[in-house]
Amino acid sequence: MACEDELRLALTRRHFFGGAGTGLGAAALASLLNPSLFAGQAPVDPKTGGLAGLPHFPPKARHVIFLHQSGGPSQLDLFDYKPQLKKYNGTELPASVRNGQRITGMTSGQSTLPVAASIFGFSRAGKSGAWVSELLPHTAKIVDDIAIVKTLNTEAINHDPAITYLQSGSQQPGRPSMGAWVSYGLGSENHNLPAFVVMISQSSGLNVDQPLFSRLWGSGFLPSNHQGVKFRSGGDPVLYLSDPPGIDRPTRRGMLDALGKLNRINAAVCRDPEIETRIAQYEMAFRMQTSVPDLADLSKEPEEVFELYGPDSRKPGTYAYQCLLARRLVERGVRFIQLYKRGWDQHNDLPRDLRLQCQSVDQPSAALVTDLKRRGLLGQTLVIWGGEFGRTVYCQGKLSDTNYGRDHHPRNFAMWMAGGGIQGGVTLGETDDYGYNVVENGVHVTDLQATMLYALGVDHTRLTYQFQGRHFRLTDVRGNVVKSLLG
Amino acid sequence: MGARHTVVLALAAWAPFAGAASGPVDFDREIRPILSDNCFTCHGPDEKQRMVKLRFDTKEGAFADRGGYRVIVPGNAAASRMYQRISAPDKTKRMPPPFANRTLTPAQIELIGRWINEGAKWEPHWAFLPPRRPPLPRVKNRSWPRNAIDAFILERLEKEGLAPSPQADRETLLRRVSFDLTGLPPTAEELDAILRDRSLRAYENAVDRLLASPRYGERMAMEWLDLARYADTHGYHIDSHRDMWPWRDWVIAAFNRNLPYDSFALEQLAGDLLPDATPEQRIATGFNRNHMINFEGGAIPEEYLNEYVVDRVETTSGAFLGLTMGCARCHDHKYDPISQKEFYRFYAFFKNVDEKGLDGRRGNAEPILALPSPAQQAELASLKQGIESREKEMHDAGIPALEERWEKTRLDTLLPAPQDGLLAHYELDGSLSDISGHYRHGRTLTGSVGTAAGAVGKAADFDGETRVEFGDAGSFDRGDAFTLAVWLRPTGHTEMAVLQKVEDAATRRGYELLLDQSEAVPVLKRGSHLTLRLTSRWPADAIEVRTRERLIDGTWTHIAIAYDGSGKAAGLRLYLDGQPRPFEVLRDRLAGSIRTARPLETGNKTLGKTYRGQIDDLRLYSAALAAAEVARLAAEEPLRAALRVPPDKRSKEQKKQLHEYFLTYDAPEPLRKVHAELADLLARKERLEREIPTSMVMKELEKPRASYVLGRGDYRNRGEQVVPGVPSCLPPMAKGLPDNRLGLARWLLDPAHPLTARVAVNRYWQMYFGTGIVKTSENFGSQGEPPSHPELLDWLATEFIRTGWDIKAMQRLIVTSATYRQSSRVTPQLAEKDPENRLLARGPRLRLPAEMIRDNALAVSGLLNGQMGGPSVFPYQPAGIWEDIAYGDVYSAQTYYQSHGQDLYRRSMYSFWKRTMPPPALITFDAPDREKCTARRTLTNTPLQALVLMNDPTYIEAARALAERMIAAGGSDPARRIACGFRLATARKPKPAEVRILRDLARHEALHFSEDRKAALALIRAGESPFDKKLDVAELAAWTTVASTILNLDETITKE
Repeated sequence: MACEDELRLALTRRHFFGGAGTGLGAAALASLLNPSLFAGQAPVDPKTGGLAGLPHFPPKARHVIFLHQSGGPSQLDLFDYKPQLKKYNGTELPASVRNGQRITGMTSGQSTLPVAASIFGFSRAGKSGAWVSELLPHTAKIVDDIAIVKTLNTEAINHDPAITYLQSGSQQPGRPSMGAWVSYGLGSENHNLPAFVVMISQSSGLNVDQPLFSRLWGSGFLPSNHQGVKFRSGGDPVLYLSDPPGIDRPTRRGMLDALGKLNRINAAVCRDPEIETRIAQYEMAFRMQTSVPDLADLSKEPEEVFELYGPDSRKPGTYAYQCLLARRLVERGVRFIQLYKRGWDQHNDLPRDLRLQCQSVDQPSAALVTDLKRRGLLGQTLVIWGGEFGRTVYCQGKLSDTNYGRDHHPRNFAMWMAGGGIQGGVTLGETDDYGYNVVENGVHVTDLQATMLYALGVDHTRLTYQFQGRHFRLTDVRGNVVKSLLG
Repeated sequence: MGARHTVVLALAAWAPFAGAASGPVDFDREIRPILSDNCFTCHGPDEKQRMVKLRFDTKEGAFADRGGYRVIVPGNAAASRMYQRISAPDKTKRMPPPFANRTLTPAQIELIGRWINEGAKWEPHWAFLPPRRPPLPRVKNRSWPRNAIDAFILERLEKEGLAPSPQADRETLLRRVSFDLTGLPPTAEELDAILRDRSLRAYENAVDRLLASPRYGERMAMEWLDLARYADTHGYHIDSHRDMWPWRDWVIAAFNRNLPYDSFALEQLAGDLLPDATPEQRIATGFNRNHMINFEGGAIPEEYLNEYVVDRVETTSGAFLGLTMGCARCHDHKYDPISQKEFYRFYAFFKNVDEKGLDGRRGNAEPILALPSPAQQAELASLKQGIESREKEMHDAGIPALEERWEKTRLDTLLPAPQDGLLAHYELDGSLSDISGHYRHGRTLTGSVGTAAGAVGKAADFDGETRVEFGDAGSFDRGDAFTLAVWLRPTGHTEMAVLQKVEDAATRRGYELLLDQSEAVPVLKRGSHLTLRLTSRWPADAIEVRTRERLIDGTWTHIAIAYDGSGKAAGLRLYLDGQPRPFEVLRDRLAGSIRTARPLETGNKTLGKTYRGQIDDLRLYSAALAAAEVARLAAEEPLRAALRVPPDKRSKEQKKQLHEYFLTYDAPEPLRKVHAELADLLARKERLEREIPTSMVMKELEKPRASYVLGRGDYRNRGEQVVPGVPSCLPPMAKGLPDNRLGLARWLLDPAHPLTARVAVNRYWQMYFGTGIVKTSENFGSQGEPPSHPELLDWLATEFIRTGWDIKAMQRLIVTSATYRQSSRVTPQLAEKDPENRLLARGPRLRLPAEMIRDNALAVSGLLNGQMGGPSVFPYQPAGIWEDIAYGDVYSAQTYYQSHGQDLYRRSMYSFWKRTMPPPALITFDAPDREKCTARRTLTNTPLQALVLMNDPTYIEAARALAERMIAAGGSDPARRIACGFRLATARKPKPAEVRILRDLARHEALHFSEDRKAALALIRAGESPFDKKLDVAELAAWTTVASTILNLDETITKE
């Protein structure tokens, strides 16, 4: 009986990796728990630490890798092929096309808004014949495995609100990030690694990088154990992971054994089940100290893997290295992996910087899809590639034959998705001749969120959390699952 | 059994402390929450969303005659349409409908049925009625209560058949109340004192001592900073720094002088509007300036002006009213009777601030209050006076005429640049030719060289990919004296090679000029150190020197390197802008030749990136130029270039340059002196103004800004114009109150206000017991949880007002109650009956808040620095975590510069709070990011917390310091050492079994470290504070592991 009480108590408290790691043998007893014990919040599945009753329906995907291209890649130079723009090059963007669209403070002062055609070549790729820019030769090779969406759209026109919107469903701070929602809803399959891992790589262009914010992987009003854990390239791969200088593993083990015994003595006196949980968390921390370095140890990866991902994949901190790590995280059951590649904000010198940026991103992104596929992991892993908005057809700054820049464009931009139930070889959505407006099949950022949750077997309207009296969800009051993307 | 049993279970489930199921159903506590959560979205206050014109949030709506049928027929559930629909067996008829995503449990349906059958008694929402002071309840156990609180708590326990727990022992209690009132543990002396104090008032005396401690204000402020979303950065996008610590210090001081809550609130909401407002009262208004502020390039000011005002509404309503008014921003509130229009009327109180939509680029955003000390004030006045008088002198001197005459003749008198030994001179004015007469032309290797404005005429512009070479110019060897002079304006912000003449990547024989990664330098600039290498074979056979100062990115600097051929770093002179500068010698072991046949070229990627920026006027000499010659090169060549331009064609910069040169070097002596004095005074004034602290404050615009209802909350969708006003569900503003923030504050603090006092005392309760009497301390609306002890809440609220809003008295009342003093031990019966401890048949047992966990470690180890207030500090933090996400450019708070010395050991509330990357160790223990008002922190228990306590250098250093204390106090007796450390950390003496475990650990580790003294030394070197050199390193290391184990105890980080 006491055991049951303790379980009940333990589960009302917050866990990091879910109940199973606590060693309470909880699964069998979970059904005894009255769902409504949790004061408005849903009960927990002790096996995963996610919510009982989730997924809502059989999932296609068990993992998500979101390759966030921070800054806003230019759809016009990568995926949205507009040959007719050559004709309009240098002419003023017609007001009828702009149609009252608000313009950022960076170009609103410009006396003209001249159309800038892409200077990059496009060709058809794969069996599907999708148009892909010459900047993405490797992506062109996997085009039959991915679905290209040309009509993503958002309302935000600046980085902070746009990236916050895409990652949390609201333009203003305060909401949980996607990964936190997924961790909250579905928990983890690995009890020695976090459910939600974040990695950041720096710009490959010469221009300044846009900043990022911890709220983008934060837990908002969800319990803080759902926030993304940052894997770093320098120092400890996870903050405070390494034993301090002078403490070796046997010493750490000895300290932990003593600590466990001492904590149990006190647990016997005050009978607070939180103490048992704490003991379990220390053991998990101890295991993490091995499992994380093991994850980051690429020495056993064969040569051909590095060739696949490109030479940068040997260098910690690069996007290529992180793509390879993302695959290893999926293999270990990590639920949500979020990469941020900085440096896509090409307001000026776009031809130079976009090329540099693509050189470091194209091969590893394609390699990740290829690698997951040949290992049989692509089916259960949803890969999403894209940024917080697109770029304008009109030039920011001076337009020349060889140089131009593009401002932020929210009305349509391109992303691609692969695996996890996504149909390969599909190109969805059409934009107008200027690449300025959606003509058909617009996909709002909340539609993307709804579709991502759908792939995970979650109904986005039913994954909610009560905060300040309201039942919040990732997609707020919007979001439609884009069924045509799903196979 | 069946149905009845379910009801009991559900009741227990939904609110385990709700009244016994046998009594009548309590509408306010049991029914309204079900209706609110499940029905109000479509049948609630939001008029636009309301379905079939039916509403359950008002009595009229719920009981209306609907033309032939009634939704609720009191006394007859079966005849009530509501009950029929919620219990309909046909799923298509059942309410709530599937799209609502809400389902009623059978228990809830039964409960509603019972309520209707009992007569459907309806009451208005409790929180909108003023608190009434209830009589003290009668209890059976008359001896237990110590004050009124206990009567309410005990009455309920007796009803539930529970008995209170015995009082916690004195040490536990002292530790509990010390954390609760000061955020710090008791000292050993304080523990001894309370054990010795035989008086009946021993505990009360301790409480009085703690309330009088300045630590009390800090502890109370910790709570308030979360609500007020206090931070040291602006929050959005670039997230650069701001100074709101004067406001934070005002809060601490206000608690310490026990400013009554009404004044505390009023001054923060409207201190600026008080007649003859003092600077302190203005600082207090920073409460409503703590919100995030944006200056993202390209953002639209109007959009953010709106966000700031919305944030003020959300924070003010959350902190003072316990209402989620923000929900009515886009539409009428779904649950509470607050319309969208009422939201914007409340909003109008906060709209009229003299602020900008985009601001904060350079520290604080307008409106700002400068806070000079009297000495600073006096100095500023005297500087201003000095500046004025000199400016007048300059003005009266007829400078333009003098200067014009000078300009005409100066070119003729200008000496030629040093010619002796000139090997090559590249003007770089649009070509790569050498004009020295030796004609070593440069050529482009990759890319193309641009032309830009230069330091001397035009300059060559490099984009980061372009490279040029200058042939065999400058082919020197170790024994050759030479000079290299050049103007540089780097813009790369990264490691770059500027110029090099290098044999190959393997030996690097030759010489090279490099810039390292540029880093932030004070006042919004970045800069890089300049490195020079003379190399025969890298790295063993080379000289390497580096400037101490940084070259500022985007600024022209003249560089001259003069080498005497001695083969020693001492034979190098390095000049910046004509002045010899000190440099660091990193390598000084050149023996071999540095000659190479490779060309001199702009840098390639052997190190960092290819040069980006401008280069101008490159000269090479076969001799070490004298200081005077270098000074002339730096000063006179730009002058010559500017003078050669016809006066009407000169750029603004050139005109300024000439003016400066004239006044500095060539004007009549008295004028030169005045000029120099003026420059000095201006620099001093600028420095002083930077040193004078400022704080952001509220300040009304002279001409009011209009407010409108904004459709869907969007700043672009202006609807009806509105004037300031309060929601109609609350009492109206008294006649005669001004319709500004001052009037609003006075309305809020009217003793008859139903929410203000309740919300405040509820949060105090939450501080001590972990959960408020109303659990949802941020939400007293219909979606909030009803109070566990409604009469107690009202009694406390009325008592708060009766005592003149005396904050300290309220804390004293709570912590001296018998309820608070109970032992926190859990019995199986209590675990079963009341797992969340809402009935309070035992004392609170809670993990400490983030700040206290660290402060405790610092305090018990003796490292804590008790200094109060002032600018925030930068304790240990893993390297790179700001830089990873930062803008990496010219703004503040992008790079973490760790503090040193005593600032490492300040209380955690003084740690610099960067919103987009808050202190990681505090966040791990559930501290909020301070982007929004937070009334309640979550409480998690995670492995990342274990990693912090085990491995963060903060805790390792504290463990070592604690070990030293243990050794000092315990002498050679391990048991005494353990007793000392254990007691400091937990306030109790260890049990024999505990001593045994730690003694075994100490013995084992002493053996280990005596065999590995290197490891021992590595461990005890943690942190910046020196370890005790008199102690044996192995022994100290072993005891450091013991101390670390003690600091990791669950009990150490828990308030028992």
